[in-house]
Amino acid sequence: MTSASAVADLPPVVQGKRRFGWGQAALALAIAAFLVLFLAWPVGTVIVAAFTHKGAGGFTLVNFYDFFATDLFIRSTWNSLYVAGMSVVLASVFALPLAYITTRFEFRGTVLIQTLGVVPLIMPPFVGAVAMQLLFGRNGTVNMLLDQHLGFKIPFMEGLNGVIFVQAVHYFPFILINLSAALRNIDRAMEEAAQNLGSSGFRLFRRIVFPLAMPGYLAGASLVFVKVFDDLATPLLLNVKDMLAPQAYLRITSIGIADPMGYVISVVLIVASVVAMWLSALAMRGKDYATVQRGGGGLARRHMHPWQAVAAYAIVILILLLVLAPHIGLLLLSFATIWSFSPLPDGYTLAHYGRVFSDSAVYITNTALYATLAGVIDIILGTAIAYLVLRTKLAGRQWLDWGASAALAVPGVVLGIGYLRCFYGVTLPDGTPLAALWIVIVIALAVRRLPYALRACVAALQQVSVSLEEAAENLGATKARTVRRVVVPLMTGGMLAGFIASFATAAVELSATIMLVQSNADAPLAYGLYVFMQSAAGRGPGAALGVIAVLLVALCTLASHLVIERRQKP
Amino acid sequence: MTAVAINIEQVNLFYGTNHVLKDVNLDISPGELFAFLGPSGCGKTTLLRLIAGFNTADTGRVLIDGKDVSALPPWRRDVGLVFQSYALWPHMSVRRNVAFGLEERRVPRAEIERRVNAALELVELSQLADRRPSQLSGGQQQRVALARTIVVEPKVLLLDEPLSNLDAKLRGQVRRELRDLQQRLGLTTIFVTHDQEEANSICDRIAVMNAGVVQQVGTPMELYERPANLFVAGFLGSANVIDGAKWVDPPAGTPAGAKLVFRPQAATLSAASQQAWLKFEGAVAHREFLGSTVRYGVRGPAGDVSVDVAFHQGQALFDVGQSVTVGVPQAAAMWLST
Amino acid sequence: MAFAGKVSALALSLLLLAGAAAEAQVSGKVSVVTSFSKDVTDPFKKAFEAAHPGTTLDVQNRNTNAGVKFLQETQANNQVDLFWASAPDAFEVLRGRKLLQSYKPKASGIPEKIGSYPINGPDNNYFGFAASGYGIMWNERYVAANKLPAPKEWDDLAKAPYFDHVSMAAPSRSGTTHLTIETILQGEGWDKGWGVIKAMSGNFRQITERSFGVPDAVNSGQVGYGIVIDFFAFSSQATGFPVKFVYPSVTTIVPANIGIVANAPNKAGAEAFVEFLLSPAGQEVLLLPAIRRLPVNPAVYAKAPADYPNPFKDTSLGAKVKFSAETSEKRSEVVDVLYDQTVTFQLEALKDVTKTLHAVDAALAKKANAKAADLAKEARALVAAMPITEAQASSPEIAGAFTGAKQKGARQAELEQQWAAFAKDRYAQAKAKAAEALKAAQ
Repeated sequence: MTSASAVADLPPVVQGKRRFGWGQAALALAIAAFLVLFLAWPVGTVIVAAFTHKGAGGFTLVNFYDFFATDLFIRSTWNSLYVAGMSVVLASVFALPLAYITTRFEFRGTVLIQTLGVVPLIMPPFVGAVAMQLLFGRNGTVNMLLDQHLGFKIPFMEGLNGVIFVQAVHYFPFILINLSAALRNIDRAMEEAAQNLGSSGFRLFRRIVFPLAMPGYLAGASLVFVKVFDDLATPLLLNVKDMLAPQAYLRITSIGIADPMGYVISVVLIVASVVAMWLSALAMRGKDYATVQRGGGGLARRHMHPWQAVAAYAIVILILLLVLAPHIGLLLLSFATIWSFSPLPDGYTLAHYGRVFSDSAVYITNTALYATLAGVIDIILGTAIAYLVLRTKLAGRQWLDWGASAALAVPGVVLGIGYLRCFYGVTLPDGTPLAALWIVIVIALAVRRLPYALRACVAALQQVSVSLEEAAENLGATKARTVRRVVVPLMTGGMLAGFIASFATAAVELSATIMLVQSNADAPLAYGLYVFMQSAAGRGPGAALGVIAVLLVALCTLASHLVIERRQKP
Repeated sequence: MTAVAINIEQVNLFYGTNHVLKDVNLDISPGELFAFLGPSGCGKTTLLRLIAGFNTADTGRVLIDGKDVSALPPWRRDVGLVFQSYALWPHMSVRRNVAFGLEERRVPRAEIERRVNAALELVELSQLADRRPSQLSGGQQQRVALARTIVVEPKVLLLDEPLSNLDAKLRGQVRRELRDLQQRLGLTTIFVTHDQEEANSICDRIAVMNAGVVQQVGTPMELYERPANLFVAGFLGSANVIDGAKWVDPPAGTPAGAKLVFRPQAATLSAASQQAWLKFEGAVAHREFLGSTVRYGVRGPAGDVSVDVAFHQGQALFDVGQSVTVGVPQAAAMWLST
Repeated sequence: MAFAGKVSALALSLLLLAGAAAEAQVSGKVSVVTSFSKDVTDPFKKAFEAAHPGTTLDVQNRNTNAGVKFLQETQANNQVDLFWASAPDAFEVLRGRKLLQSYKPKASGIPEKIGSYPINGPDNNYFGFAASGYGIMWNERYVAANKLPAPKEWDDLAKAPYFDHVSMAAPSRSGTTHLTIETILQGEGWDKGWGVIKAMSGNFRQITERSFGVPDAVNSGQVGYGIVIDFFAFSSQATGFPVKFVYPSVTTIVPANIGIVANAPNKAGAEAFVEFLLSPAGQEVLLLPAIRRLPVNPAVYAKAPADYPNPFKDTSLGAKVKFSAETSEKRSEVVDVLYDQTVTFQLEALKDVTKTLHAVDAALAKKANAKAADLAKEARALVAAMPITEAQASSPEIAGAFTGAKQKGARQAELEQQWAAFAKDRYAQAKAKAAEALKAAQ
């Protein structure tokens, strides 16, 4: 009797009890060590300035007093909160229809839309900004045409509202990705039950479907909130400086100024982000929306009436046009000879691509390698942390989540400087500093993008019913085996979503890498863009490189979606 | 296959401040088909999960085959649990689902093949082996879950409301199949249900639970004939409960504060006054035809009682509103104070 | 592929470690941190590697601020040979932290000064290799479409037609703009200078945080005019953008520099590159259309196109100002923060006053009104007012607040809040006066 013999080898009971949590504790410690080594320590060496007394050098909180006594910072704080909150609202408006239509209905082009929906996340630095201005700016295509034909202009890119518009366009994919993953997992019977009880249309969505997808939505929305709160590139591109993140950046990167306020703001940003994540976790407490039963063909999609289909296509196309406009502009720019104060470029050329392929190919291969490695590290860590947080009772497990999420709020330049401080002193046998190795760039990218993958993994695991795991344990699979054979396969969709988010954003990350790039041969694409976009002649090649970056990420995303779709089909 | 005993000793379990299991002691004999019966929320599933290792008791211990398994993780307990939701893995085919436990036990590939086929044959699902769970009906899913559990030949089998997702006709059939299978395998089996008929029809013994407390343990007949308290009496079969204090003319020997309990079919009904140990007068409030019997609801000063009268063709029935006398023989009367 | 390549490269570099150290003087990798774009560095890289076979110039592109930070953070284990950038003040910071080593270039034919500015840094820590001046760049299409004039002097930008059409980089973010501001302050004097700067800033559409943001916005046509360093305009023209450029008379021609980093791992290579840059061959590279900078060797202008500005001949370029690098250095942070607190972060209020004052001027041009003119003058004085005097700006008590000096003193945040409150208050008063003037004038 096989089963009996398996049991006969059992160690004494007491040992078994001890062994129970050892693997988990070791895993948690390993992750904690990683976070301390590559996040807390480097960042700590930098932001210690926030707590240091000027001149005397001792510990002080006077800098925080100054923060609250300065009108500019108070104004910046309110502006940042307002912009982050409104960006979530507007991003939801973009994301909800796309996610709902493509996951719950029979809709041609789902994979294409899901792929295109991720593209806005990949806004190559600098050149994306130029493209946005050329389209939506005061004298951009849209406003020039409006002015010519209708005699007025719309301030898309002015002030705080401009920031909200651009941020929503840029970051709504976070909601789209996570919400879509959640919607895919809802049993069709839930919708049918509501329809049976007389609910339909928007009420059905609002009362049944959306609440069931809440974990995914909150995961995305909290990411958007924190990301917008901590983002400095977009406000600076629109010349909005009275927000927190731009203030921190301006202060930290201005030469010659030994100003602790930049680090004080960094601390404020980190604390605020952790609090936001904590609040979203609090909002989700007790809402176990795992779809226990996935039987009975429950994931079938609904059919649409012809008029519904027409409306759906109209909505989808409208949203896609809006959110992809920057990339359309980027594409035009990459083929443009000169584009200046006119709705469209003066002429078109292929020369920019020629220049990029001749002298920037190394950036492209580097980026593919770095972003892939960072994405893989992120989903491994993300899955592990999600599992420890949701499925174990380890003391302090929540801190792993909060710690990893805090990375979201660490300005890239702070992390970059921290890495230089911590790892430049460590030398390899040949005298090269550790920080000069390209793998350090990968780790920096992984740490910076970990929160994205983590949120996706947490949402995915929340939707896996615990009884599926218990069934495996009951049949003799240990925790580790259960994770490998049941949990991970069932989380694949969410993990892929996390990978896409990490990969896509790592591929265009600049602020930390610019500090760490030590030689041209190791430089990623974003660095190449930066170099091009320092001169008038570099604008075209920069745009071409940007298009390549977008295509690279879009292709990876498309491949992932094909995998997910194939898994959906029985 | 030698059947094993399960002993539950002095188990207490809390969810926070909520006392979910109170001083539970149970001894389940080898080869027995044993039921945990009770209303939802009574703690029966919690107790089952405790045996499987998914809950940890605050006090007490669980012995399987005489060995304390309290400290063992679920995957070392070798107890088979069939989940109420079946918990079939949606990403694996039926065959892969069933093979899982054997693979985890490092059984050689050829033997896995053989045993999975045998198990699928046993539940008559061989031709659906390569489908995904989502492509099966509820009854088929239930059988996959069962096959997946028994294929590993666990020492004990735990079934959590295994029939609740099936339609009535299928339920009767499947429960007999379950019983047959259990007898053939000689497997100690615990069956959680809230349906007394289900428990009565196939189980050797039943533990009736309420509010975390085991109310009574016994064979279905013992429980029916000699319920230990009002809860058991009411939960197993129908019972009339009359507050003794309200009785107009209480017979001698009535325990103080006790209530009179009798089964509807034990009473007699007549139009005129009748000779009986106890008499109860009232009017017919409603009448239900149940096939072999007719159930009358009689309303009187002491309360409402149900009386079942065997039905035969040509029988004259009492009409609603008609005055009647209910008679209860002494042998059928039980006095229960709790 | 890329991964395998990198791993093997790492292994190889470990193997070749001993060999590399033993090789001849000018060879191997010369690594340079620079703020210059690829368009500038690539031709130099090509020419230098051709002139010194066996060497490679490894260019790490960072903006000036990040480059300085990088050298500071990595000084314990420095791997960089050269720092190559425009802004002299960045080199001053590096010199102050002893991150540069001195060297006496052998190249001949380079004068001591360009205009009134010394070409090489004090103690020979850094060397000017190209000169640049500051001026105004504009987009011809934009200007034509909005029927705007062509400017000649800084004050022109303060005039009514330019309102909301001008852009500049924040002086705290751009060494080149900082020098422009400092040039105006030294040329016009502290009080009058700030008056000019604020009047001009009141017309700004935006204040960018990157130097290149300004030519970018002008090239795209998002703004009409930009205050930029000359080569941005020249290289934009060379690329084909419809832009023009003018040097105002109060400008200074300052050198762009290169310096050898202290403890440079390849000192010989670094020196060779400096020599190459200053040699006639290196100087001629500056004349390429995509670079278009002014060589510091006067002889090289013989090979330049006819219309090429030549600061050694054209004495009007930078002649008006006697630029004092010493004065500039003493108060550099104070000037930057003053500008940020009174202009950059108060731009809305400042523009509001400026717009009203333009309206008053327009009304006065139609019909003279002494009371309105007086009120407008008062308003302008309120706008121009500064919270500290020239002497205070250079005083150690105030300058110390920005350098993290060890002595006790006011904290930067305190001063910033004071100055911002001062400006906010004066702009509000000025707005009230200007509105009153407008009423009177109408």
